[in-house]
Amino acid sequence: MSSTASQRALDYLEQLPGTTFTKLYQQPSTALAIFRRMLPHLAKNLVMAMLYMPAPFPIADLDAWIKPDSENAQAKDRALSILQRLRILEESDGRSYKLADAFARSLRLALTGGGNHRSFGVPCSTPDAKAMTVGWLDTFARQQWEAILYYVVGSVANATLGGEVQEISEGTKQLLQKGEFVTVKGSGARAATAITEKGFSFLLQEVNAQIWTLLIVYLEVSGELQMDPVDVLSFLFTLGSLELGISYSTSNLTPTQQQMLEDLADFGLIYRRATDTSRYYPTRLATTLTSDAPALPNSSLTATTTTQLNNNAANSTFDLAAQSEKGYIIVETNYRLYAYTNSPLLISILSLFTQLQTRYPNLITAKITKRSIQTAITSGITSQQIIEYLTAHAHPILRRQAPILPPTVVDQIRLWQIEGERMTAWRGYLIRDVGSQEDYEKAVQYAEALGVLRKEFRSKGWFFVSRMDQMSGYFKNLAARRREAMAAQAAASQSGRSSAAPP
Amino acid sequence: MPRAIPGVLVECDASIKAIINRINDQHDHDFIIEDIDDEHVLIKSSKLDELKLLLKDALKDSVRENEDSSESD
Repeated sequence: MSSTASQRALDYLEQLPGTTFTKLYQQPSTALAIFRRMLPHLAKNLVMAMLYMPAPFPIADLDAWIKPDSENAQAKDRALSILQRLRILEESDGRSYKLADAFARSLRLALTGGGNHRSFGVPCSTPDAKAMTVGWLDTFARQQWEAILYYVVGSVANATLGGEVQEISEGTKQLLQKGEFVTVKGSGARAATAITEKGFSFLLQEVNAQIWTLLIVYLEVSGELQMDPVDVLSFLFTLGSLELGISYSTSNLTPTQQQMLEDLADFGLIYRRATDTSRYYPTRLATTLTSDAPALPNSSLTATTTTQLNNNAANSTFDLAAQSEKGYIIVETNYRLYAYTNSPLLISILSLFTQLQTRYPNLITAKITKRSIQTAITSGITSQQIIEYLTAHAHPILRRQAPILPPTVVDQIRLWQIEGERMTAWRGYLIRDVGSQEDYEKAVQYAEALGVLRKEFRSKGWFFVSRMDQMSGYFKNLAARRREAMAAQAAASQSGRSSAAPP
Repeated sequence: MPRAIPGVLVECDASIKAIINRINDQHDHDFIIEDIDDEHVLIKSSKLDELKLLLKDALKDSVRENEDSSESD
């Protein structure tokens, strides 16, 4: 799992309640997956050191282990904060740390074996008559996943490239809409999907991060469908510990997990024959969920045709990560763009913001025009994202120079975006007739402290705020205080008079 | 007593402001709530999208777009 992917999973896990963690950590596979993927090395060291400790570990002793310079102290703080956020480390009586009981027990079981928890999946006891090869599973996973990406890219280029990619299931489509990767415009038979800003940044991630992004949307939706998030999560972590090319039995899965199998098959994470539902094969997408290995080898759809990659030896071993490092796009100062690829997916992505011109077997030429950029911007892609995409996928020849992209092109893309925005608009409230200059100053200061002040027009004594609820509270309090003061003054003068006059 | 007027604050340069004023005049003064200064105007929230469209049309008429400058080489 790359750092972005584990960050994404971490963010999701953090907001779960503590009881969910206790339930999650009942599974040794979950404890092991979290231990090996989510923790920085120092945190792993601490966990290993404390795993067989009989008593809580005093904080003073822990501090003695770590060199006192600032770099190491920072690493220690980071490790401790992650451990505490994941509810692995508990502070007891403020002077010592201990591991959460459930986590420690499960991790010990995972490391030394034993127990009948079956949380690492149960391989099928009977051999499969038509066993699936690893190569076939890889192809299946790739087809399923790239069909999803292709759907996200949208129908822009589908007319010309259709037929090369299969359809994705209705459930997956809904999930992608739910996650706001695509929006549906129009309705009924004429409904068309269009990529969103979020969808575009989804495309820019590497495969493993993409899977986690989608699975987290799935987790959020599964809660609404009355599926137990603990079941869903622990199954995902189990998948990460399975072995590629072996069939596993579905008999020990909970009803929720049985239900998940179908969706996971749609994503290409597992493969299950329609005729034989008692066994399933995890694909590489699933087994690499919690590991460093590349998720999609021999990816023909996204294959680029840069010369180094074109020989067959390289083709069988390269992975998406290495490939995106290689890069395949050349941008010239005259806005021409050459992309060494024959992948329908990459061509579709380029067609989102360029005007395609010619397609050769290993190369397409395109042009960045004002119209193509502004079409992209209208559909929610930002100029920044386009520039990042071009930079991230720049050909090695461009990488040798600095800056990587021609500055004229980069500036022009930015200018084209600004040009569409001749005015800026904020919704909110214009506040006027505040009273004296002093009242005005105080009100503006209050609005600024709240962070709602957008603009002030000092000469007129007006100002504009984005939210009113707290401001109206402020004015009400002020008015109430004024009234009280006046009443008090009146009462004082009244009592003054009354005391002066004898009863 | 302070008054709070809900609406959309639009910031633009003076030339665009002039076009917004013209659009407002042509449509029964249905857009602008408060004319603040040369570069700021408060308009009705419900009218923002309509104003954007009208402004785009107006600009298309008055500013000649040089669409094909990058096409020829």
